[in-house]
Amino acid sequence: MSTGSNSEATTDLTARLLRGEPAALARAITEVENETTEMSAILRATQPRLGKATIVGFTGAPGAGKSTLISAYIKVLRARDKTVGVVTVDPSSPFSRGAILGDRIRMAEHTTDLGVFVRSVAARGHLGGISRTTARIVDIFDAVGKDVVIVETVGAGQSEVAVAEIADIKVVVCAPGLGDDVQAIKAGLLEIADILVVNKHDLPSADTTIRSLKAMLDLRNNNRDAVQVLATVATTGVGVNELAETIESKCTMHRPTRSPRTRIRRVLAGIAGQIVETHLQDTDDSAIDAVCDAVQRGDLSFESAAQRLLAERLGR
Amino acid sequence: MESTSNRSQRPPKILITKIGLDGHDRGSRVIATQLRDAGMEVVYTGPWQEILAVVKLALEEDVDVIGISALATDHLLVPKLMDALRSADLAHVRVVVGGIVPPEDESALLMAGVSKVFHPGSSRDEIVSDMNRLASEARSR
Amino acid sequence: MNQEPMQLPLPGFENARATWQRDYSKHIADDHAIRNRSGIQVNALYTPHDWDSERYMDDLGFPGQLPMTRGIYTTMHRGRPWSQRQLIGLGTPEDYNRRLKSIFKAGASAISLIPCNSVYRGYDMDEVDPLLLGTCGTIVNSVEDMDIFLRDIPIDQISAAQNDPLPFTLLAFVLAVAKRRGIPWEKVTGTSNQSDYISHFVANHMFFRIALPGSRRVLTDHIEFTNKHVPGWNPVSVVGQHMQQAGATPAEAMAFTLCTALQYAEDCMARGMAPDTFLPRFTFFFDISVSFFEEIAKLRAGRRVWSRVTRQRLAAKDPRSWRFKFHAQTSGVDLTRQQPLNNIARVTLQAMAGLFGGLQSLHTDAFDEVFSTPTEEAARVAVSTQNILRHEAHLADVIDPLGGSYYVETLTNEMEQQVETTMAKIDDAGGMYKAVESGLVQTMIGESALAFQRQVDSGEQKIIGVNAYQVEETPSHHAPLKRPDPAVTATQLSRFKAFKQSRNQARIRAALDTLASAANSENENIFARVVEAADVGVTHGEIVACLRREMGVGQPLVVA
Repeated sequence: MSTGSNSEATTDLTARLLRGEPAALARAITEVENETTEMSAILRATQPRLGKATIVGFTGAPGAGKSTLISAYIKVLRARDKTVGVVTVDPSSPFSRGAILGDRIRMAEHTTDLGVFVRSVAARGHLGGISRTTARIVDIFDAVGKDVVIVETVGAGQSEVAVAEIADIKVVVCAPGLGDDVQAIKAGLLEIADILVVNKHDLPSADTTIRSLKAMLDLRNNNRDAVQVLATVATTGVGVNELAETIESKCTMHRPTRSPRTRIRRVLAGIAGQIVETHLQDTDDSAIDAVCDAVQRGDLSFESAAQRLLAERLGR
Repeated sequence: MESTSNRSQRPPKILITKIGLDGHDRGSRVIATQLRDAGMEVVYTGPWQEILAVVKLALEEDVDVIGISALATDHLLVPKLMDALRSADLAHVRVVVGGIVPPEDESALLMAGVSKVFHPGSSRDEIVSDMNRLASEARSR
Repeated sequence: MNQEPMQLPLPGFENARATWQRDYSKHIADDHAIRNRSGIQVNALYTPHDWDSERYMDDLGFPGQLPMTRGIYTTMHRGRPWSQRQLIGLGTPEDYNRRLKSIFKAGASAISLIPCNSVYRGYDMDEVDPLLLGTCGTIVNSVEDMDIFLRDIPIDQISAAQNDPLPFTLLAFVLAVAKRRGIPWEKVTGTSNQSDYISHFVANHMFFRIALPGSRRVLTDHIEFTNKHVPGWNPVSVVGQHMQQAGATPAEAMAFTLCTALQYAEDCMARGMAPDTFLPRFTFFFDISVSFFEEIAKLRAGRRVWSRVTRQRLAAKDPRSWRFKFHAQTSGVDLTRQQPLNNIARVTLQAMAGLFGGLQSLHTDAFDEVFSTPTEEAARVAVSTQNILRHEAHLADVIDPLGGSYYVETLTNEMEQQVETTMAKIDDAGGMYKAVESGLVQTMIGESALAFQRQVDSGEQKIIGVNAYQVEETPSHHAPLKRPDPAVTATQLSRFKAFKQSRNQARIRAALDTLASAANSENENIFARVVEAADVGVTHGEIVACLRREMGVGQPLVVA
């Protein structure tokens, strides 16, 4: 990991960032997203300002209408004079590593609203529905004073539970008639949901979906109030006010339990993990090779090998 | 897993969009896919974007190159886009136009600061290599 | 048609065939499979093994008779040549009127109106950047504009084809002008081109104005209204052309078009309309690519499928309901900027495919369309191409001249199967409306577009001058561009503003309120209110804006 060049240009960038200049915000996100040498200076400058924003994660199966619902939610937030930052994540091609970032298409209502700042990022092979640096992009939005930061996950139908580590409120979106909607919920999403939204409630099978979701919640959860099931029609805005209210009230309930330490720990865990990963994968070190050989021979379990490497090679 | 060295070589970030009134999007879709397949990260929008919206988008997404697809006469608006980019301090962003552009209009676009005009039949290799070049130009401004 | 190889009662056939097969393999040891754009494998030779005349009555029949393969009319082009329908669309309503009068004097009885892109997008001229006004067509925003446009033109003696997406303001203006001139609506004839909102939603967003559910209702209202009040009007033209231009294969484009027509018909029937009251007024519009035999087979197959589904699925009894009437346009996507004169050859082939496919009217593209709106010279060549095919090459003399060709009949059958396979996919998705709502059709089109582009990029599909036989060209000589004179546009704009000022504002507001409440009530016909609004002077942009507000803005569903 680089120590970060605190050059004049970086100082200038962080200053402009903290003044709230949109261009500086965009550039800072680029630095953080790409983990450039400027990143640590930016993180250092933004660190003391964290913890004010409400962070809302939207996840769910493809075709459920996440982007459209987010757009409708933003409309409600803007009517209440809240500023909004959005990180939307799309998958990267495993072959070319390129990506098409198309979630903004369905947020067309806000294309010229300066109170809404949208950034599209590619997952770049990271699993769990977000990119590896999504959490840090969220932090930058938080630090520059966005009232609400929204994270939209990839939506590739995989188990996109990583958003749970970032968001205060997790909204899981599904749509009736997709067939696999309930299946998708089963794949781990139910556990992380604070709010379940059945979007496209104007479709005939919507009520069936709601009933089966509620039944599943009854089976799994003793505390029925913990997860709320809401119905929306994102295209017309039906139910979106109620969604915004629910997010806000859930957030007020959760607030006291959120301490800055939790967040810092999360960031530390991310950065530490990265240092370890880089070191173990890329460093030319015969001692690491020896441990690998021991694992291969069956002399060491993966677990103990990892423990040993952490203690011996990285504890310096 | 990516290594540290790859991290600094981030992929070009391209915006593919349409301004004006036309709505034919076959060309922009195919190009977006080809650029993705060449390893680029492509922000893609629907048609009819306002000029101010394109500027806001380019700024927020910190793109290197904007590709405007124009099949009717919407390329006539591109000089206005160039002005708007300059006033937003985004002069480093490269702009290319692809589609049906008459020769007289092409020179006017180049004069207005457009880096390149692609015509029907431009090869994928030509487009990809130009986009790569323009993206690194935009970054080393 | 999947038949078991059988012993044909032709002396010597089997021996000769075996010999040929042996010799052929000797000469072409490594014979690679060739597939057409729809993915059908094309063999080196077709014989009675593939199709023979025992199937004549099942597959072909006679012109004007089921299964309609040979044409929808008894006499086809021999009795009445196809209409040459060239689109014209530059200038002010005055310019347009002058042009109309001159072609009317020359004996034409059909006119076409191509409005400016600003009109397509649902805006009045005071709502868009003046730089774009009138660069692609005529600006018609009000009943006043339409009155100028049709000055001295006998509305009851012409057939008007209008590019007029829903809510069909241009037809409303025509009906208002007819009313002023005391011409009964029963005498107004023509076609609402660009009425096919589904094709706009998936493939050509230029025309898409009102959100999908609202579009569905307005089109059905329009069909119901014209059916009752303007019986000589074709309210629907289902546009396979958009699908194919957007990248669908010819077979897919045909399938999507047929499914769309079925959807519209079922929507009408759900309103209680009997199929034979509206189906005879359904028309179609296709793209003809340069894939010659494939296009011929596509059109012949489409005719056969339509005559079947109208009977079997819609229970239509009137033979006029079974007729697959279509206009076709040569495909602009095939034209190249490189060596542009080559486009004349391409257009000629495309036009021939359309004629052999049994079209009712034809638009031939100008060779310079890849540069800009066609020049006079190029437009003349396009018209001459049609005249040469008819008068010099005598292509109109024989009905369905390729009927009975082993290849054409086999390919027609195979294209029909391909079309039906795709139609079954759409049926499984719940019909065309649902299939576009879920993005299925867009995804299929996108994949086909990309697959074709990859074939071009790899050189598997050669395009002369683009990836094969390139030559060094000096920038093409090209006639100077004609752009509208800004002063003329400015005059029209100030006249328009003055017109808006001069109106009885209370009546305008009342008409818009009535329109808005119709949009929110299930029991009113929206198009009837559009016609009333147009009559009192409500403008195009005001009508569209009102319906967008009440029924939702049409956002294209773009599947990246």
